[in-house]
Amino acid sequence: MKGRRRALLRLMAVQGAWSYERMIGVGMGYASEPLLEDLEAASPERHREATARSAEFFNCHPYLAGLALGAAARAEHDGAPGVQIQRLRTALCSPLGALGDQVFWAGLVPILMSLALAVIALGGGGKVLVAVVLAYNLFRVLVTRWALVTGLDSGMQVGTAISSSWLPGMAARIAAPAGFAAGLAVPLVGAWLLAPVAWRPVVESIVSAGAAFVLLRWGGARWTSPRVALAFAVVALLWTRVVP
Amino acid sequence: MSALPASALALLLLWGTIVGLDLVSVPQGLLSRPLVSASVAGWLLGDFEAGLRVGALLELFALDVLPVGASRYPEFGPAAVGAAVLAAGLPTMEGTGLGALLGLAVALPAGWTLDWLRHANARHLHRLSAALNAGSSSAVRQLQWAGIGRDVARSAGVTALALALAILVRTQVDATAPLPALQTPVLIGVGMAAALSGALRTAGRGRRLAWLGVGLATGMVAALVVAA
Repeated sequence: MKGRRRALLRLMAVQGAWSYERMIGVGMGYASEPLLEDLEAASPERHREATARSAEFFNCHPYLAGLALGAAARAEHDGAPGVQIQRLRTALCSPLGALGDQVFWAGLVPILMSLALAVIALGGGGKVLVAVVLAYNLFRVLVTRWALVTGLDSGMQVGTAISSSWLPGMAARIAAPAGFAAGLAVPLVGAWLLAPVAWRPVVESIVSAGAAFVLLRWGGARWTSPRVALAFAVVALLWTRVVP
Repeated sequence: MSALPASALALLLLWGTIVGLDLVSVPQGLLSRPLVSASVAGWLLGDFEAGLRVGALLELFALDVLPVGASRYPEFGPAAVGAAVLAAGLPTMEGTGLGALLGLAVALPAGWTLDWLRHANARHLHRLSAALNAGSSSAVRQLQWAGIGRDVARSAGVTALALALAILVRTQVDATAPLPALQTPVLIGVGMAAALSGALRTAGRGRRLAWLGVGLATGMVAALVVAA
């Protein structure tokens, strides 16, 4: 099958036309295009149907979209019935979304950003940022490539390939280090930002942290952290007018 | 504050646009994290330390956000560029607080523009739905590139707003005497609470929660050792 490299490149922008209607469906169609080109010469009708299917509603974690994209493209080339391919795509949405969110958004990203914060707070300087961004993007490209190749190799059997891969294990194990890294970073960054430490700003900070934590945990969905911060800043500003 | 040269403004606008595009469209490679975007903005302005500090404070708030599916969330990246512009050259404590305040104020409406973008993409999709359902490759390409084009315009607009507000506030700050410093410890406190609240939400219960506690205890001991 031709077009793997172009499909990989296009997968980097799979959310480029994100909409509430089809979510990343259009991006999937765009990334599928190079993989479906072969079909055009063999069967223009099949090519049109495959193109239409590839851009239908789809949603999952963007880094893992290649698994569904590759599997669907393989199935189109193998002549699988259209209804089966649509079912496969539908079945992959939730697991690929959940696995990707756990591994990346709730795992790797908080780990790397928290560790970067901790290193900076300990005097590590900004070089750590360059290292983190480079390492993360290298891993992101490797994962995207692995997903596409695995999907293309597995076709309709992609579910088995996913469950026997590294993904479920990593999703189950990554939350603990993410929690540790966040816990480590928070006091270190607080102390670094408040340095040189004086009792008054430390007390102000701890009182604000306690009140904000209560609001964020039990105050309801309206109390998002930026709103709490802006409200507290206004109160602080008024306080400075009353108590010089 | 001396006026920013046009070349610096253009560079910051370009950087903010890249950062805004990184959040959802392409390439989602951590550039939109406030720690990264503000640090680079600070470096472009010749005050890396100011960008790093305000970026670190905003990053605590960003750690509270889980950008899954169709959820709505604040957009910190371009806002952090404006925050770094405001913080650069000011006294460390006051600059960090003022910059973060501006970053938070811009991050909220910036998040709303993502909603606008998604609806605009959907409207375009409606217009081309017949061609799309008929399997037209050119309709797919048109939608994809138009979506990215809209996000470029959106990101540039948000960055321009953040930069304009930062420059406006800086002119006011220069004209008046001591800056209100109380808000900086307050914002640091809320940021710490936000990061912990986000970590608690994803940690759940049991072993994972215990590891969060271990990390917190280790961080507190390390912070005390460093402070001493």
